[in-house]
Amino acid sequence: MNPRIILNDFSASVKAWRRSPGTVFWTLAFPVILILIFGAIFSGTDDISYDIHIQDLDDSTWSKQLIEILDNISALTTISVDQEEDIDEYIKENEVLVTLVIPNTFSETINQSFFDESVFVNITMHYDPSESSAGVIQGIIASALQEFNMQISGGYHIIGITTEKTVGEDFSFIDFFVPGMIGFTIMQTCIYGSIERNTKFRKNGILRKLLTTPITRTEWILSKMLFMLFLSFISTTVIVLVGVFVWSLTIHITPLMIILVVANSFLFSGIGMIIGRFVKEEETADMAGGAISFPMMFLAGTFFPLEQMPMFLQTFARVLPLYYVNEGLRNAMIYMNFEKAVYHTAFVVVFAAIFFIAGILLTKWSEE
Amino acid sequence: MLQKTVRCPTCKQTTIVAGVNGEIVKVICQFCGSKGKVTFGQRLKPEDVAIEVFHLTKIYDDLTAVNDISFRVKKGEIFAFLGPNGAGKTTTVEIIESIRIPTAGSVKIFGRDIKNEFEEIKDKIGILPQEFHSFERLTVRETLVYFSKLYKKHANIDDIIDGLDLKSHEKILYRNLSGGLKQRVGVAISLVNDPDIIFLDEPTTGLDPKARREVWEVIADLRNKGKTVFLTTHYMEEAEFLADHIAVIHKGNIIAEGSLEDLIGKYGKKSILHVKECSDKKVAQVLKDKGFEVTTNHNNDIEIVIEFKDQILEVLSNLRHECVDYESIDIRRSNLEEVFLTLTGASLREEKP
Repeated sequence: MNPRIILNDFSASVKAWRRSPGTVFWTLAFPVILILIFGAIFSGTDDISYDIHIQDLDDSTWSKQLIEILDNISALTTISVDQEEDIDEYIKENEVLVTLVIPNTFSETINQSFFDESVFVNITMHYDPSESSAGVIQGIIASALQEFNMQISGGYHIIGITTEKTVGEDFSFIDFFVPGMIGFTIMQTCIYGSIERNTKFRKNGILRKLLTTPITRTEWILSKMLFMLFLSFISTTVIVLVGVFVWSLTIHITPLMIILVVANSFLFSGIGMIIGRFVKEEETADMAGGAISFPMMFLAGTFFPLEQMPMFLQTFARVLPLYYVNEGLRNAMIYMNFEKAVYHTAFVVVFAAIFFIAGILLTKWSEE
Repeated sequence: MLQKTVRCPTCKQTTIVAGVNGEIVKVICQFCGSKGKVTFGQRLKPEDVAIEVFHLTKIYDDLTAVNDISFRVKKGEIFAFLGPNGAGKTTTVEIIESIRIPTAGSVKIFGRDIKNEFEEIKDKIGILPQEFHSFERLTVRETLVYFSKLYKKHANIDDIIDGLDLKSHEKILYRNLSGGLKQRVGVAISLVNDPDIIFLDEPTTGLDPKARREVWEVIADLRNKGKTVFLTTHYMEEAEFLADHIAVIHKGNIIAEGSLEDLIGKYGKKSILHVKECSDKKVAQVLKDKGFEVTTNHNNDIEIVIEFKDQILEVLSNLRHECVDYESIDIRRSNLEEVFLTLTGASLREEKP
């Protein structure tokens, strides 16, 4: 292997990229525009429906009446949690996004309130602040409690709500969206970059020409991967900077995030190589790339949480590599959930190894 | 593969012997057992041979693209591989360039078998693939520097740029060049490693006549610099203008091989002396009586078949002697088109894949 040849090819690729306004737009400007548009649309306008897990520690007529009110709200589905459960463990184990805990003093306080209007009791809402719909759900519950207060006291504030975050920081939609954009942009760049190399360069005779020069296939693939990594890190940096400076994103640069960016580049370059191997025509290859990347973009939780989709689509999403990239990046750079980040990164690395090795083995320069 | 009918000096029986240009084939008479040698074309010493192709065959499913062909290319010559589209030219040249794998047969470049030693040969060859388009967003100079850096051996980029008259275009992006300039850059790319053999696969396809002529001049100049050029083309004018040696390929077979003069002499018609608007048709009968093959038409044009140069003077003398007046006289030489027509019964221009 000759590093000089690899550097020569890498440098030529960067020059050609720099001079292609279209490619620069799709690599850098497009994700930035999406972040700005989606950020503006979704900031503070969450309207997502969720299951609500309710632990009724009081188990009284009053508490059952409240649960019935919540159950009658079409946007909410109540799920009962056993009294014996440790609520923190339950939330963690079941990845529950919103949980209500009705305290065991609930009915007693209500009964006292008939004689003393100053008493009150709070139910506790545990929620994942990274979930964009948390604010809306809190509003729905507050309305339900207001109705309940009206029923039992004619409007006195007897029952209130306190909130507890299930993770340490307060997250917004943009926190959810930015890692997805990074995963999506790298996917697009690498898939279409690989397709261009394997179809356009083949059609133009460049691969045939290179086959007759001293550059080896390994050196060529390595130099192109170096270029893809360069683009991936540039676009990641731009996206992060826009997130931080425009949307006040709180981001953590962690080794797992770096690993995910690298693995993501290898993963989708491998997929692009496989497409380029089997689809010879440039236009058809672009369509094949779109046929793979577009469903993945919408189904893998890039723009909105998986939980908003029907169950069968959620199941399908979990076999898509981009889902693990997006979730891995969120946990590695935003939520700082190391355990989940490692779990998702492991998936991405395995996917990357499989697809990149398959891509290398299937990539041919010679003609049939 | 060339064929010769030889007569045995002992028993006088004839036999057909096959060989490639420059090859000396040992022959044993099948009738009397006498031994002898037959030389095909010009005898080539091993050190004079640039490319040797032996019994090359390429079969795709039920299509035989190249059918057991053999030939040699001499160092320093322009070897034209002439044939219509789909004849097997590109398949053959791409096998020689190790881009395709043959079904059977072998290729040697400078005596080295490409199957096992192609890596050692890469520095000695330069290639312009068919319909080649380089990196669109690199300038001419950057493109040449890019390809140059892939090799251990480098030619001087400035010399190449000057030699191919690309100086005024060196800072222009490849995508913005005209078709002719792109092909010139393609030839320039094939020279960056100062190769001994240059393969040019249909280098002028799609170019206008002016651009084609410019590329021809570049190719002719390569021969002047001592390079061996392997040229594939379906333009007979290109082969006639450039080639020292021509192999005509048709449906995967080499059907004729030799210099332009050899091929025309062997397969072409004779030259035709055309007398336009002849004032007296009687001269036609006079020439016929003297043994000339003469045809006339309703425009009073006369066409006389010329076998030897001296016959031209004889015809002109007869025209003067008979006091014939005429509009003009021209002599049309036989060409490769006629050679191809004679060999295949089809026109090179009309032939389809």
